Parts: sequence; C-alpha cells; structure tokens
Amino acid sequence: MKTLFVILLIFLNLPLVSQDYDKLRDNMVRRQIRSRGISHRLTLEAMRNVERHLFVPTAQRRRAYDDGPIPIGYGQTISQPYIVAYMTQLVNPRPGDRVLEIGAGSGYQAAVLGEIVEQVYTIEIIPELGARAGKLLSDLGYGNIEVVIGDGYYGLEDQGPFDAIVVTAAAEYIPPPLVEQLKDGGKMVIPVGSPFMVQTLMLVEKKGDRITTKNLMPVRFVPFTRD
Amino acid sequence: MTKRIYFSVGLLSASIIAFQLTLMQLLSIIQWSHFAYMVISVALLGFGASGTLLAITRRWFVRHIKFCLPVLMILSGVSMSLIMLISTTVFGSFDSYLLFVDRSQITGLLIAYFAFFIPFFLGALALGLVYIHYTENIGRLYFADLLGSGIGGLLVLIFFWVLYPAQLPSAIALFPVISGMLIIPVKYRIRSVPFLILALITPLILVFSPPSLPVSQYKSLSMAMNLPDAEIVIKRSSPYGQLDVVRSPALRYAPGLSLNYRGTVPVRDIIFSNGNWFGPVVEWHRSDTTHFIDYTTNALPYHIRQPSNVLLLDSGTGLFAAHALTRGVDNITTVEQNRIATGLLTNDLAAKIDSMFHLPAINNARIHSRSYLLADDSRYDLIVLPTSESFGGTSGINALEEQYIMTLEALDEMWNRLSDDGMIAVTAWMDYPPRNTLKLLSTLAETHEKNSTSPVEKHLAAIRGWGTISFVLKKSPLTPAHTENIRNFSNSMFFDPVLLPDLSDDERSVYNQLEDDAFFGYIDRIMSGDRESFYREYDFNIRPATDNIPYFSQFLKLSRYNRMQEIFGQSTVPFLEIGYLVVLLTFFQITAAAVILILVPLLVIGWTGGGKLYTVLHFSGIGLGFMFIEITLIQQFILYFGNPIYAAAAVLSGMLICSGAGSLVSSKLNTGRRDIIRVLSMVIFFIIIYIILLTPLLRMTMNLSLLPKIFLSIVFISPAAFFMGMPFPLGLRKLSGINPTLLPWAWGINGCLSVISTALATIIAVEAGYLWVMLIAALSYGLTLIANVIKT
Repeated sequence: MKTLFVILLIFLNLPLVSQDYDKLRDNMVRRQIRSRGISHRLTLEAMRNVERHLFVPTAQRRRAYDDGPIPIGYGQTISQPYIVAYMTQLVNPRPGDRVLEIGAGSGYQAAVLGEIVEQVYTIEIIPELGARAGKLLSDLGYGNIEVVIGDGYYGLEDQGPFDAIVVTAAAEYIPPPLVEQLKDGGKMVIPVGSPFMVQTLMLVEKKGDRITTKNLMPVRFVPFTRD
Repeated sequence: MTKRIYFSVGLLSASIIAFQLTLMQLLSIIQWSHFAYMVISVALLGFGASGTLLAITRRWFVRHIKFCLPVLMILSGVSMSLIMLISTTVFGSFDSYLLFVDRSQITGLLIAYFAFFIPFFLGALALGLVYIHYTENIGRLYFADLLGSGIGGLLVLIFFWVLYPAQLPSAIALFPVISGMLIIPVKYRIRSVPFLILALITPLILVFSPPSLPVSQYKSLSMAMNLPDAEIVIKRSSPYGQLDVVRSPALRYAPGLSLNYRGTVPVRDIIFSNGNWFGPVVEWHRSDTTHFIDYTTNALPYHIRQPSNVLLLDSGTGLFAAHALTRGVDNITTVEQNRIATGLLTNDLAAKIDSMFHLPAINNARIHSRSYLLADDSRYDLIVLPTSESFGGTSGINALEEQYIMTLEALDEMWNRLSDDGMIAVTAWMDYPPRNTLKLLSTLAETHEKNSTSPVEKHLAAIRGWGTISFVLKKSPLTPAHTENIRNFSNSMFFDPVLLPDLSDDERSVYNQLEDDAFFGYIDRIMSGDRESFYREYDFNIRPATDNIPYFSQFLKLSRYNRMQEIFGQSTVPFLEIGYLVVLLTFFQITAAAVILILVPLLVIGWTGGGKLYTVLHFSGIGLGFMFIEITLIQQFILYFGNPIYAAAAVLSGMLICSGAGSLVSSKLNTGRRDIIRVLSMVIFFIIIYIILLTPLLRMTMNLSLLPKIFLSIVFISPAAFFMGMPFPLGLRKLSGINPTLLPWAWGINGCLSVISTALATIIAVEAGYLWVMLIAALSYGLTLIANVIKT
C-alpha cells in the first residue's frame, strides 16, 4: 500500500521536477512576447535569460511561464511576462544606463533590467517582499542590482538622475521627486489598471521643462475601436 | 403543542434574519459585498434543502419531533457561533478576487458555501418541521415567524452599534440555543444539561474573544496595512459598516496630480469602510492659501467662474470642501450620509482639519445626496459630484450599486438648483476601454438637452490630465473669456482640453497622448445628434442611468460578452465587471440547485397527481412575488429616508410585521377558493397601486421630518404587506386538506423561489428596470391566483 502511495506521489510531482524551464521560457518569449510585437533585442535576450520560475512562490511554479500575472502575497503580483517585456522595451534600456525601479515586488522586473543596463536600483516599501527579492537577486549573482527597502515616493536623490524610471506599483499621483530625478530626455513608465484587468501603460517623457505623457495599451488587445 | 413553541419560532426566525444581515456585513469586510451576496444566496438555499429533506423523511422527523426540534434549533445556534472559526480557516487560503484566475480557489468557494449553508439549513429544518406538524396553527406560527424576523431585523441594527462584526455571529447564536432550550421535553431536560451548558458557553466564549477577521490581501485596507509603521488609530462599528482610520508615514493622497506640481505630497490618514477606501483625512488649516486640488483637473470650474455658493454631494471626508475654502468660497454645503465618518471628522479628527466642519462657511447635511436635492430649494453657483470610479478601476465591483445621484432625474434636480450662471462639475479617472467617462458625458449632455434649447457644445467643457478627465456643464453659455482661462489653466498644468466651444482637434492631445484616439470620436458622437445610434452600437452600456435603472457603473452588455472575450481574453473579462457577473453566476448556481432540490422529493412522493400542480404554482408565485416587492420597496425607500439602513430596516421590519398580522388574521379565513382569490386580488391590486402612485406619493412627502416619514412608510407598506402575509398560511392549510405529504415540498419550493427571486430581481432591474420587477411581482401573484382558480 505504502509503495502505491510513493508511486502516486512521484507521479503527481513528476511534472515539477522534470519540467524543462528553459524550453518553457523560450516558448514564452516566442509565443507571448515576440509574436506580440516586442522586437527590442536586449529585452528579448533578458527575458530568455532570467529564470522567472525562481521569482514566483514555489506552489505557483507550474504557472510561472503562463500568460498572466501570478499572486506573490501582500496583495502584490508578478506581472504577466508580456507586460514586463513591454515596460522594458518602452524605456529603451541600453548598456551603461542607470535605472530606478519603484516597487521591487518579486524582483523579476529588476532582474530583467539588470541583464541589460549597468546599474539598477529598486525600492520596495514592504520589508518582507524587499528582503525576499534582495536575497534572491543576490543569490542569483545580480551584483548590479541594489534593493532598497523604503518609500518609493522620494526616489533615490543621491543616485540620480536616472536614464529611466520603471514604476511597477502605480499610485494615484506621480511623485514629484521622481520627475525631478529623471534625466533630460529620460523616460518613465507606469502601469495603470488593476493587476488582473486590462493594464494600460503610461510613458512619461521629460524634455527640458516640458513633460508629456502617452497612454499605451498593450498590443495584446485589439484596439477598442468601432467599425 | 405548548405555547412556548410560538416564542421559540419567533426567536429562531429573529436569529436567522439577524445572522443573515450579520454575515452580509462580515463577508463584505473579509472579502467584498458581491461575494457576500453570492455566498449568502447559496446558503439561503438551506430553506429549500430543508423542504427537500423533510419531504423525503417526513414521517421519521414527525415521529421524533419532540427530540428533533430543540436539537435542530440548538445545533443551528452552535453552527452560527462556530462560523467565525470556520471562516478563519476557509479564508486563510481563499480569496474571491482570485476566483477567475486560479481554479484551485473553487474548492475554497465550495467549502465557504457549505459552511454558511449549515446554520440556515438547520434553522429552516426546524421551522419547516413546525409548519408541517402543526399546520392547523399555521396562521399563528407564521405570525410568530414573521414577527420574529421583523424584530430580528431591527435588533441587529442595535447589535451593529454595540458589538464588533466578529462578535456578532456568536451573540446571535445564543437566540436559537435559547429557543431550543425552551421546548426541550421534560423527560430530556436533566440529561441534556451538559450539552446545553456547552451550547451556551461556546458562543459566549466567542463573543468575548472573537477570532480576528481574515481580510483579503487585495482589499485596500490590507494593502495600506502592509505599509511601514501602518496602524489603525481609530476603529468604529455601526450599521454603516466598520470604519478604520489608518495612519502610516507612507500614506499619501493627491489623485491625478499635475506633472508640473513641484511641492511635496503630504502624508494623510485614510478612512476605510468595511476594508474598502472611503476617503483621506485632508489636513487643512485656515491659513492655507493653496491646495493640491488646484494642480488637478478638479480645479476646472474655478477657472471658469468664482462661485459663492457651492454644493458638494457625497462629500466624503471633505477634500473638495477644503479646496473650496482655500479658494475663498464663503457658503459651502457638504452632503454626506455616513454619519460615523462625518462624526470622526467633526470630533476625533477635527484637529487635523482645523475644525473645518465647524466653520460658519460650511453647512453640513447628513443624509443621502439625492434626498437632499429633492428636499432642498436653494440655488448654487457650483455643484460638485464625487470623483467617478477609482484609479486603476474597481474591476466592476460596484456595478450593481444603485447610484441615485448619477441618474438623469438627479442631474435634472441639480440643474434646477443652479443659479443662472451655475455649473455642475464632475471628475472621472480615465478608463480603458472607455465606459465611465463616456456615460458621464452622455448623462451631462442629455441633462442639458432636456433643460435648454441652446446647443450643448456651448455649455460643456472638459479637460484631461495624465489620468483624470473633468467635465463642467454650465447653465449659461461659455464665453471666449472662459475658454481662454481654461486653455491657460490647461497649459500651465500640462493638461489638454477635450471639450470647448471653439476647440480644434490638434489641441486635444498636446501633453497627454492616447494611443487609441477613438476616444475623441466617441466624445464627438455623444455631443452630436447621433447619440442614440452610438448607444446601440457601442460594446458597453453608456446610456445614462435613470431612477428606474439606477446602475451608473453597470456597463456590460450581455449580448457583447463573447466579443469582449475575443478582445480581452477569458481570464480578463470577468474583471471588467465582476459585480454583475457574480450576480449572473449566483442566479445560475441557485437556479440549478433549486431545480434539483424541487425535483428530488418527487422521486419519493411521485411525479403526478395529488395537488402537485397547485403546490408548484401557488408557492412559487408567492415565493417570487413577495421578495420582488420587498426588494423594490427597499429601493424606493432608500431615497425617501435618505439612508439605506433606515430604508432596509423600515421596509424589512414593516413588511414582515404587517405580513405577520395578515397571517394571524388568515386563521379566521377559510381555505375555500373564494377567500384565497379575494386575498390574492387585493395583493395584485396594491401592487398596481404601488406601480402607479408610490413614487409620486413618496416625492410629495419627501420634505417631512423622520417621524412622519416613518408613519407614512408604515401606511404605504402595511396594506399590501398585510394581504401578502396570508397566501402562505392559507396555501399550507389548503394543501393539508388536499395532500399533507406535500407540505414539506411546498415549504421547499417557497424557500427556493424566494432565494432565486433576489438574484432574478436584480437582473431584471439591470436589464429592464424596477418597474418591470413590480410588474413581474404582480404576475407572480397572478400565477398563484390561477393556481387557486383551477379546480384541484
């Protein structure tokens, strides 16, 4: 009887231990990201390199490469892979850039950016999430990512200005210090919308004293127009 | 039969209704009100299920009634008290927010259904057993039942004031335990003492040390409590819900702030109601000369004309009042019905806002905004509506909230309160796909067209920031000076004008571009004469809300659901309008379950003959009709009392007590065709009277004070309710003469249809309006009438 149980348990857990995460990741990039118009080479490479399944709760690993957001606790989610790629492409990250992220969450977005740019600072307000992300990123060898536990409102004045700011946890206002810490010509990207709903992204661009915004809907969705 | 049974039945019924209202509150705190609605609807099927079980096992239960009846009552009480412990376990890993994205949550939902079903099932089993065994006394028993329910509805309101929600189920659980104790036969009394002590002690322990509430991690309160050093500094419980004031050095509030703002965004305390956002405590000082609202699109009306009299509807925590004071307005009226929240602002938190609400410039009205409009005859230069929707959307959680200040009739009343150059202003968060913003515009445009012959484009202005859009409808035409001021303000704040009398297309997205410019096309179609065809063609319902269909935030067209799935994907669509989908889901679930519960007894009692057609028609008709009328009356009286809690209490208790009186009088009627037909004709007559006269009568007496209103509400409700209390006992008595084995089945049918009717009434109200709900109620009683006309 006991043997039967062991066999059953092995059978049930088989998909977890034998899953070919590399293959799943490659599929994710091809089917969910490239096919929807993401063409930024560095972003695609980063999405292929970062092991997303390590950033989701163990119980959710089977779904790590699914086409959707995943809860990570504290009312937060790890964004849908496509949204992460889209946000990354939007700020056009380049080697040598210094990027600030507000809302580290799982640390996944920071890891993707860390694959491309010289330095990433990521601020997380929930201490438990920040500590978890910091440890994971450190264990994975991301020496160019610094996780700061604190209030993202203030940004990081002493490390700025930044080439790009990625706000992953949007608020009802855009903190003035973040606008200040954006380089002239820099870009800030912010998601708008509840996590499981239609997330539209907003791009903020600073050109001299003038600040403009552009609302971008994820191309996943057919533009909502009438015939 | 001892006379104690009447008291026991009354006490049990009081506890069941009190428990139902408590669960509604409790689940609204732990999860959301739409989820509470779904779980409780399924749990109430316990009434139907009790009928099914009794129909199958009638003989056994009747034989052991002296033992079973007290045991069922006591167990019902014990299960009520244990519900808090069970819900802590269930909701530890379950979250209704994830239902549509994580299938494993369905198990949690099923456990929740089962856990909340038990107390209702046991209680209903006891009531059903009483009815089928003591049918000859049904009139008095049903009177005790309804009287108890009416008193229970009132009693729970008092409980909401004195106890915290987590304590309530256990406090209420004592009632059925006592009701069971009262009817324990003498021979069991000594032996049952240890069990009775346990049954009494369990709820008492849980009243004094209730478990903590497992609030969803996705609720605003949970999110706020995740912030560093967040603490709840004030907690209040009342029938309005549980209010929590949260303080944290990281809680800031400045919605839609201009990107040109260079100041700091101050930290604020935030008030949460049942774990949902209620509003910020706006720190304000009499010496303030600027306000952050000046850097948002909300400031638009002040750049058109400086108002002297401002009316702020659903003014919440007074954000716009503080802004108006800073802008030098010396006559401000705030209207907010949540007295607990306003009480906090005028007392506990008064120092934070420099006692703003005590200033002579501010008049405070503490009633429903619509009731204020109906009763008021002042003139205002500016009427400000609350910000529509919330940042990031609410996933349609509020889709079925009746918003009486957003209906065309309400806007008409606002228009009539405006001074000659007065303005109505409203701000909304931009949404995608556009729904809320478009419905706001269509409401404003139709209001103008109804009240003025001047072209609408001369009276409407709108500007858009990165996240918000503000509309102003002005009674007199906008002048070139006004439009110049609006343009200057927009430019200085990096906003874009969207509607102005002389606007060119390229001005609409200078600072804030939209990838899908179709939004402007929609705006133009609403402003054009082509509005009606646009309402029909557009994939969402953006036709203005009316008092008959007061669901401003309901946008989903069922006929376009498949198209929405194609565009947004299967897992995303539910989050477009979760509130309505949950009601639809509930309706299908309970209807499927009800059909099974109604059909199963037929396997035992046979499929045909013996009065089955009569039973189905009579009891399903009154099951549907009674609830339809009750729901519609609550809807009508919300405006009348200006307070949903008073309305629900007045209607529920008034109807139940008057119906109880009807039931008592029905004992004197015979069950022949003539008496029943007369009673049913009276019910239908009064429903028709309601359809024709109730709304005008309520409007005519709107200005009266509370006591005369309560008196009049009883006068309005009592005649119909009195007769509505008769068909159930008369039907049971008649059935006991035809075929007594069908009595439990009738009890089950009545229970099942009563539950189905709540979801069905909501769906009919959304799709066709409350008038149809009343008409269908009359038709349902017509069905019962037909059952009694047909020769059995």
